[in-house]
Amino acid sequence: MTTLSIAEIVQSVDSPAEISAAASKLRQVISAEEITPNEVMNVFDSWAKNLDARELDDLPGIPFLRMWLRRGTLEPIITRELGSEALDGGWTEFGRARLRAFPLGIVGHWPAGNVEIQPILSMTCGLLGGNAALVRVPSGLVDLTRILMEKLVQGDLSGRLTRRIFMAAFEHGRQDLQAAMAQAVDGAMIWGGAESILQVRSLPFPHWARVSVFGPRISIAAMDAGAWGNPNEQKTWCLRLARDVWQFDQQACSSPQVLFLERGAGRSTAQFLSNLQQAFETENRAHPRHSIAAVLTSTICQARASWLLNDPSHQAAFPIDPAWTLLVGSGVELPLPTQGKTLTVLEVDDLAEAISKWDGNVQTLGLGMANEEKEKKLALLAGSKGVDRIVKLGRMHVFVPPWDGVDLIRPMVRMVRHVNSTE
Amino acid sequence: MLPFEEKIDRLLSMPPYGLPPEERQSGLLDLLKDELDYASGRHAGYKNFIQHWPTDFRAATRVADLPFLPVGVLKANPPLCFVNPEEIKRTLTSSSTTSQVPSRVVLDSPTARRMTKGTVSIVRDFIGSDRRPYLVVDTPGYMGTGELGARGAAIQGLQPFASEVTYCLSSGGQGDLQLDLERLKQFSQDHQNAEVLVYGFTFILWNHLVKPLLAEGISLNLPKARILHSGGWKRLQDQAVEKKVFDEKLAGVFGCSADRIVDFYGMVETVGVIYPDCSAGNKHGPVFGDVIVRDPLTLEPVAAGGHGIVQVCSILPTSFPGHLLLTEDLAQVIAYDGCLCGRRGVSFRFAGRVPKAELRGCGNLDSKRSAKN
Repeated sequence: MTTLSIAEIVQSVDSPAEISAAASKLRQVISAEEITPNEVMNVFDSWAKNLDARELDDLPGIPFLRMWLRRGTLEPIITRELGSEALDGGWTEFGRARLRAFPLGIVGHWPAGNVEIQPILSMTCGLLGGNAALVRVPSGLVDLTRILMEKLVQGDLSGRLTRRIFMAAFEHGRQDLQAAMAQAVDGAMIWGGAESILQVRSLPFPHWARVSVFGPRISIAAMDAGAWGNPNEQKTWCLRLARDVWQFDQQACSSPQVLFLERGAGRSTAQFLSNLQQAFETENRAHPRHSIAAVLTSTICQARASWLLNDPSHQAAFPIDPAWTLLVGSGVELPLPTQGKTLTVLEVDDLAEAISKWDGNVQTLGLGMANEEKEKKLALLAGSKGVDRIVKLGRMHVFVPPWDGVDLIRPMVRMVRHVNSTE
Repeated sequence: MLPFEEKIDRLLSMPPYGLPPEERQSGLLDLLKDELDYASGRHAGYKNFIQHWPTDFRAATRVADLPFLPVGVLKANPPLCFVNPEEIKRTLTSSSTTSQVPSRVVLDSPTARRMTKGTVSIVRDFIGSDRRPYLVVDTPGYMGTGELGARGAAIQGLQPFASEVTYCLSSGGQGDLQLDLERLKQFSQDHQNAEVLVYGFTFILWNHLVKPLLAEGISLNLPKARILHSGGWKRLQDQAVEKKVFDEKLAGVFGCSADRIVDFYGMVETVGVIYPDCSAGNKHGPVFGDVIVRDPLTLEPVAAGGHGIVQVCSILPTSFPGHLLLTEDLAQVIAYDGCLCGRRGVSFRFAGRVPKAELRGCGNLDSKRSAKN
């Protein structure tokens, strides 16, 4: 079999027939041969190495993608989700039975348009389960996706993996193409805002198709007084937080929108906020924006002005341009997110009081805590209030399942149970 | 009387487009600083905003460096206000065609007076100062009392040019607009060879005057009509009506030439400052206001030829924070001086609204889960 070129893998499509034809080819490939997680990881390892190139350094999300593709990251995930013998396609003993993962077939991927590497991340989850991938690439991400996929093609010399991939670039509003994609798949991974999710879920999927939805969420950071009040660690915490804010321009579901600071007995947050401002300035110098949507600029200006006008006790720090914004006040209510590196810092007497008001919208709680016992209590409370990930500040975007409370590979495989009849 | 009222009057009495950019800047800068200082003393939240601006406005050397507010803050209810409730003479509301929440701006007597003078100064530069029969393509009921909408404000703003006023639409039983053809024909018959002024919102002119008259093959035979319209093109986009077609058909039904039609941009938030198209097809800021087009990435003014977000500046309002407003419109700066029409200062063209649909994705929440249930 010949290898595919990048032009064959990532295509602009304009008719449902093109999608159906691509799906037929994918189905032929997966019927002809299986691919084990180990074989997929071998290619991913090469891909990660190829992505470690200077010309890619400025592309958004590349460090995360490299880390995700490493065998060291993926191996434990596969053995946890699919079983200890799954790496080479073996059966894993489970009591008197044995279990083995089989692919669903073709998995369709509907990534969000706001996280640049999401088409790739979503696709890799399905491929690790042995599936073929039919990926809709949002129009704004086509160029970047081509660059990243080129590096995969270079590392997959036999073409065994790339033959299982077809990426279709078309406008979100092309309902006919969306429907053709849905009809061709056995499983779907859907990411994005509420409107997009509802639209994709209503597509004519086959009745057997399994659907995993990763809908709109926000994420929150919180620190106890012992952590933010420790002068030796303040700057480090602030840099961690700034990095979490900067990734994906604060538009990912794992991006912190609010930082709750627990009030400490008699300690002022002024020095901490000054360090946080410096961390934002530092991060901005290292990773400045090169473009911005006018609507985001308007939204940021609106957030700054409203915050300061509505309450004379509110404070803020920001440069003239929309590069970043700190809005400072107090209270336990979650403001609607502004995004675009706009962090609202709210002082509270008790972090638990703030968390107890959450209603399932919060995906990740990034914590900076000095008190371990308090952290355990907060984690329990957060879990009960719908939070799916509780991680250390600086690691809010680390893409490790469960994500949104569900596994990433297992939902797109069939776990087959075999109970030996000869015993 | 405000300590800087004389300065305002001085600029208002000047020819609106006569000053070269440097002279215009220094006059505006000085006065806007006075107004910012005054406004800070009238509203604690506004003072808080000014104090947190990254630079001290008193040290600013350009109008572009003064703290500006996004126009969306004028959607606050109760409205942002620098005067006591008993001083409020009228509240203007925006048409809010692109959002559900209208802007509200409160006018005290001095601001209302300046609003009228500002509009007169600008319109006079385009159509002359004579009073003439005024045909309003709207209903008299739209003027109402109490809160005044964008349509009413525009109709009222042109009344200083009217010798008499005729409304040619009426409200049907369902509240829909109906053309009063008899009244229109009578107006046409009475003023066939006279200079007349016509005003209507763009979509109303098209839907309720041009289309019905075209359908019946009627021409009004008013060759000396001056037709002003405003309100934007958004509602005509669905009908795919382009400006050129609009002008040709409108001129056709009035029996005048298309160069007698003036499209102007105005918002209730920019009381007293409107932006008519000049003969070169550009818009200009008057001497008592200015326009800055800002790069969305840096928020610095763009170079000539560049596109960005429009900021409007005006010395006229002192009853609400309308001095320096970042709008939700996009424009291209044509030149910073030297328009072919002879008007001095920046010339620009609108390039549509800031697109709304780009903020989408997995990290974008616009409501709480509990609120949906």
